[in-house]
Amino acid sequence: MKFSNTVLATTLISSFLMTGCAIGDEDEYRDKNRWGGSSLDVAPISNASYKEECGDCHMAYQPGFLPARSWEQIMVSLEDHFGENAELDSETQQQLTKYLTDNAAEHANYKRSNAMMKSLSYKDTPLRISETRYFIRKHDELPKRVVEDNPEVKSFSRCEVCHTEADMGSYNEHQVRIPGFGQWED
Amino acid sequence: MKRIILISAAMIFTSNLVHADVADEMLAKFQQQGIQANAQAGESLWNKTFTDHKTAQQRSCTSCHGNNLNHPGEHAKTGKAIKPMAPSVNSQRLTERKKINKWFKRNCKWTIGRECTDQEKADLLSFLSTL
Amino acid sequence: MNTQKIKVWDPLLRIFHWALVTLFLFAFITEDDFLDLHAIAGYLIVGLIAFRLIWGVIGPRHARFTDFVKSPTEVKAYLKDVLLFRAKHYMGHNPAGGAMVIALLVSITMTAFFGMLTYGAMEFSGPLAGMVSSVGDNIAHSFEEVHEFFANFTLLLVALHVVGVMVASLQHHENLVRSMINGYKQIEASEPEAQAINRNEVTQ
Repeated sequence: MKFSNTVLATTLISSFLMTGCAIGDEDEYRDKNRWGGSSLDVAPISNASYKEECGDCHMAYQPGFLPARSWEQIMVSLEDHFGENAELDSETQQQLTKYLTDNAAEHANYKRSNAMMKSLSYKDTPLRISETRYFIRKHDELPKRVVEDNPEVKSFSRCEVCHTEADMGSYNEHQVRIPGFGQWED
Repeated sequence: MKRIILISAAMIFTSNLVHADVADEMLAKFQQQGIQANAQAGESLWNKTFTDHKTAQQRSCTSCHGNNLNHPGEHAKTGKAIKPMAPSVNSQRLTERKKINKWFKRNCKWTIGRECTDQEKADLLSFLSTL
Repeated sequence: MNTQKIKVWDPLLRIFHWALVTLFLFAFITEDDFLDLHAIAGYLIVGLIAFRLIWGVIGPRHARFTDFVKSPTEVKAYLKDVLLFRAKHYMGHNPAGGAMVIALLVSITMTAFFGMLTYGAMEFSGPLAGMVSSVGDNIAHSFEEVHEFFANFTLLLVALHVVGVMVASLQHHENLVRSMINGYKQIEASEPEAQAINRNEVTQ
């Protein structure tokens, strides 16, 4: 093969490969570098106090599921927390607010955190994970009889009932077992 | 062997005493303020039904803790299991002051609509620590 | 038997072929269990396809589309000949092979395209995320279905391709897999292309 052809072709291949990789790079919404991020769904909870104080009535949701501004709003309205009183002493309240906002979705380089942030406009301040666009898109193909009308599940807020590894931060669809229905995949 | 059994029994006995201590400490403090705890009043307060003025929902301690405190309860909204309230069944109950105060604040406010008075707290503590 | 070693597949073409095999298998296996790696494999595949399209126009003789893309009539006639064990020997891709190249290029491109649409609609990520940012849930899910269809269809084509390569290898007593690795084919000196090369009418 002619030398010039080789040069041209090598240049072409390299540039296409590099362009290919670069296409995937979007960092603007997040403060951490994309490369080296985790394939894991969401960062597991690393604060025992959070698990204890906020995991008694419902599963302690990983902070990586909501933006910091959402967590802030939730933490200043604990007196009426979705109709319940979830008040804390002010020291604990401050500590947990810091933990939540430090580990919120925009600061976490994990699959679900990334997708969640990209699906929200900068104004959106969702208070319920289950009402976010991303969550709904992932769960909208489930018939009613499987969650809402299933007496063993009842609500989408009860992640741990179907996502068997939720407390480890894993929400892989292959691990889903719906009570009364067994394994459930796409 | 006999010695091991004796020592173990002594440890279990004292640890139960230690557990009862926190509730007792709090009751003792209330007594110093001139409050006489009444376990029966505590029991009827526990079982009383209140109406939430915002939603008209009927609320009681039993709404979440259930009617038999030796059994687990279930959160009325989320369905999450709540460990039994009776200290004789669940040795973690009434052992941490911070926890006791946290739940008094949250749950009195949710159930009754206001914080419990010191008298009510004393009554409830003395009722629960008999279980 | 007077055989001659002829250079058929150039190095870039061979690299392209085996890189594509590796990346496709990798993407197929990782699927959404390792989604970011899966997506990278997809982007690299897009790069490879782009390269092949250009190489098919400016590359050496047997890499060019003009060398092996034949009319459907010719492809059908060739397949008939194969079934009757009288198929002619081709230096580069035979007509059926040529058709398979086109089919694979199209199927892989569709897979990658719908993959990017899915990535945008389901994970709000990737280069097409902006384009699909406002599609409804139904359309989002259908992107995924179409992506999976083309991925599976490509796999089917790959299976047929492997069968075709085996049949052609057997019928013409050559190891086509080895040829795609080292670039050479052993042919009879009497074959037209060998004679053309020997008479310097054609460069290797």
